[in-house]
Amino acid sequence: MSDAGKVLRQALAIGALSLVVAAAVHLPLIKRFARGEFRDSFFRAADYPGVRLIALEETEELWAGGAAVFLDARAAGLFGRGRVPGARNVPSAGGGEEVPEEVLALPKDGTLVVYCEGGDCQSSLALARRLHDEGFRDIRVFGGGWAEWTGAGLPLEKDDGQE
Amino acid sequence: MARNKTVFLVFRLVLGGLFIYAGAVKVLDPLGFAQDIRNYRLVGQTLSFVAAVVLPWLEILAGAFLVAGVWKRGAALLISGLLVFFIVLTLVTMARGLDVDCGCFGSLSRKSGWGVIVEDLGMLAIGLTLLLAPTKLPHAPDY
Repeated sequence: MSDAGKVLRQALAIGALSLVVAAAVHLPLIKRFARGEFRDSFFRAADYPGVRLIALEETEELWAGGAAVFLDARAAGLFGRGRVPGARNVPSAGGGEEVPEEVLALPKDGTLVVYCEGGDCQSSLALARRLHDEGFRDIRVFGGGWAEWTGAGLPLEKDDGQE
Repeated sequence: MARNKTVFLVFRLVLGGLFIYAGAVKVLDPLGFAQDIRNYRLVGQTLSFVAAVVLPWLEILAGAFLVAGVWKRGAALLISGLLVFFIVLTLVTMARGLDVDCGCFGSLSRKSGWGVIVEDLGMLAIGLTLLLAPTKLPHAPDY
């Protein structure tokens, strides 16, 4: 039984050591959190200049104006069943697949609008980060996503044969 | 016995190495990992942040102790406990029908699902073997 106690004490000691090391290494980050940063999102806008959240109204204007390329971050199956007309599919949940060449070939200063299902889906934000890393500088994240788009009764497009 | 010793050594290096790697990729991107945790929708912003800061170091240090062969059963206990927690977390997430990135290995993570559970069970088997194998009995493997 003393053996079990010894093992437990070892585990606790490793746990305590982890706390100390984590606090020491991430002290600057912890200070920022204590000052109130990251309370709404861990996404730091300053790290991703050119990425911003937009509402339905602006999304609709951009779509109607035809000046922006729309990217749908949802899985291919959902994309096939219905999407913003003209949108291209870049599935981005779970780490996502490679961003297609045709998307990478778009002008880097052009406007991109990314969306996913809506609610608090994260794949559009994940895609925005990846696109930012690829050099795109005007990426707008439509937070309301597919749910808000269809909820507003806006046009949609689907694959042939899909209900 | 010598063969057993080799097996235990390999187990320690593999499991410890995997945990060091898993922790290291998360340490490099604490905010990204915090968001991964938040996506599970089980804990709030503050707990997600705390877990994202501490958990990677827990993985790294437990893995390092296991590889080094110091306090190896304590390290095996910690790792087994973490794996049980990950398995339960994955099952709960699947039951709730959430579509989330598992967050297991940073940007190499896949979606939370059966594949993750099978991997975790495999690692748990190794962890429990290292934890429960007798060490003090005569002729027992001194791994």
